[in-house]
Amino acid sequence: MRRRIGAFDIINTLILSIVGLVCIVPFLYTFFIAISDGKFLIRGDVSFFPKGVNLQSFIYVFTNPRFDIMTGVRNSAIYTILGTIVSVLLTYSTAYVLTRPRIKCRYLIMSLFVLTWVFDAGMIPRYIAYSSLGFIDNIWVMIIPDAINTQYLIITKAYLEGMPKELEEAAIVDGANDFSILSKIFIPVTKPIIATIALFNGVAIWNQYLVPQMFLKTKELKTIQQVLANVTIGTEGTTFANTIINGISLNQQNMKAAAIIIAMLPIVIAYPFVQKYFRNGILIGSVKG
Amino acid sequence: MKRKNNDTRLLPPAGLGERLRRDVLLNWRLYVLLLPGVVSLVLFKLFPVAGMVIAFQDFSAFRGITGSTWVGLENFQRMFTDKYMLTLISNTVIIAILSIVCVFPIPIIFALLLNEERSRVVKNSVQSLSFLPYFISSAVMVSILATMLNPSTGIVNVIIRHFGGDAVNFMARPEWFRPLYILLQIWQTFGYNAIIYIAGITAINPELYEAAEVDGCQRWGKMIHVTIPGISTSIITMLIISIGQIFTVQTERIILMYNPSNAATSDVIQSYVYRIAFQSLGFPDYSYGTAVNLVKSVLAFILVIIANKLADRFAETRVF
Repeated sequence: MRRRIGAFDIINTLILSIVGLVCIVPFLYTFFIAISDGKFLIRGDVSFFPKGVNLQSFIYVFTNPRFDIMTGVRNSAIYTILGTIVSVLLTYSTAYVLTRPRIKCRYLIMSLFVLTWVFDAGMIPRYIAYSSLGFIDNIWVMIIPDAINTQYLIITKAYLEGMPKELEEAAIVDGANDFSILSKIFIPVTKPIIATIALFNGVAIWNQYLVPQMFLKTKELKTIQQVLANVTIGTEGTTFANTIINGISLNQQNMKAAAIIIAMLPIVIAYPFVQKYFRNGILIGSVKG
Repeated sequence: MKRKNNDTRLLPPAGLGERLRRDVLLNWRLYVLLLPGVVSLVLFKLFPVAGMVIAFQDFSAFRGITGSTWVGLENFQRMFTDKYMLTLISNTVIIAILSIVCVFPIPIIFALLLNEERSRVVKNSVQSLSFLPYFISSAVMVSILATMLNPSTGIVNVIIRHFGGDAVNFMARPEWFRPLYILLQIWQTFGYNAIIYIAGITAINPELYEAAEVDGCQRWGKMIHVTIPGISTSIITMLIISIGQIFTVQTERIILMYNPSNAATSDVIQSYVYRIAFQSLGFPDYSYGTAVNLVKSVLAFILVIIANKLADRFAETRVF
């Protein structure tokens, strides 16, 4: 029942295209500033499209130890990789046990998770609790305390509960124990949920600003988000100074822009390949938990 | 409990100890898997909640929770006489209400428009672009905002000057904080929240559209009579959830956007608590900060519980 394309269709396509563009124009603008030559920026010659295209600003801010960008990227990468592994292991195994009817205390444990999720303890009690456990200036603060995010625990549990019972019954008859049911039956068929929680946790750790800002005070341990906020918003007063390298002038503007792009790069690169898992995440989550 | 050990062959078996022993023997593998989860629940989720007792103390970091003096409701009394508290609460609530009024309808409109789009390529690519910002960090988003709004070099002020206006230092002006916060909120969330509505629209029975066509409905009529009723459950659920989370402001974004010159509108409960604890000179007043936060948490908790009940009753979905 195809109808002819009317005025509404054209206007609709136009509106949607504009919406799509508006979503990414700020990112593009930042990227264009970063690759422009500073002398055009100073003169106000760059309105949107880049002039004097080069990658010098990236190389300079990334390699100059004074800005800690490289340290920040390295730290964030380590925290993200370790944190994602720990999160997935803990979230999945906890969710798995909490779906087993033989475990009588599962309702109590789940209720406590939900209760402490809905009732926010607040920053200060968390700070006091974690610091008394030795998490100040300790990289594990990025990995251990938030390993189980209750929201993802609910999603994972809902997903595992949706698995057909027949799946494991045959294995139980064959005398499989709980470990082998988990590793040989559940994990292979629930890969999509594992990918989803891995991605959500990974993104959350990479993007985290408040937790490292509260606990990681040593320069060598800071994350890329902390370093970025410091150089762009000046939370601790580090600023870029104008300089000229290989005839290309670098100033505050294109160096800040380069730092911003570096801080979002891993997510933008991964995005096209993983967006279907991101989409799944909210859909599983929106089904009853 | 009176123990009857004389006849263990009959079911149910005797004592609690014996039942526990059998349970552990049978399910020890599951308990091993559960252990890390329980440890993290106790240490990282329950312990901080217990730590909230410092709201009733004059907490000193040197003496710890057990050694600090108890002061009863003193911190709460101070709160109700603190004039600044009124500013904080009104800032928090205004931001929350604006977040619902201005942000909530946008993903619905977007999903409806997307549903009317004929070209698959446009539909898919626009949708993919729309939820990318959800996964970008607050630090990056606020940095981009600051770059674009820079008084001397930012594109917005370049345009303003081009048309003969005076540059505005947007990030330092209290009257601009709320619009900018809401703008970021829309930019970061509309595409992601639209996913739920889009899935809802896809699930609508196509026969309903055919029936509407037989009844003479045009495109507009089908949207009003089929599509919107079809996703009304999702809309109600999402609305109730967002009302429940009225106190959950984007703390990171606010802390990053906050500066003393825009404090009149940008200071909310969380940013105030954060500053008390981490940016004050001298001894931070942990107890007062916790008391302020406790009141917020209790109100937020009640709202979430009510919202969950309402969602259960009116939309037959629960958040938990």
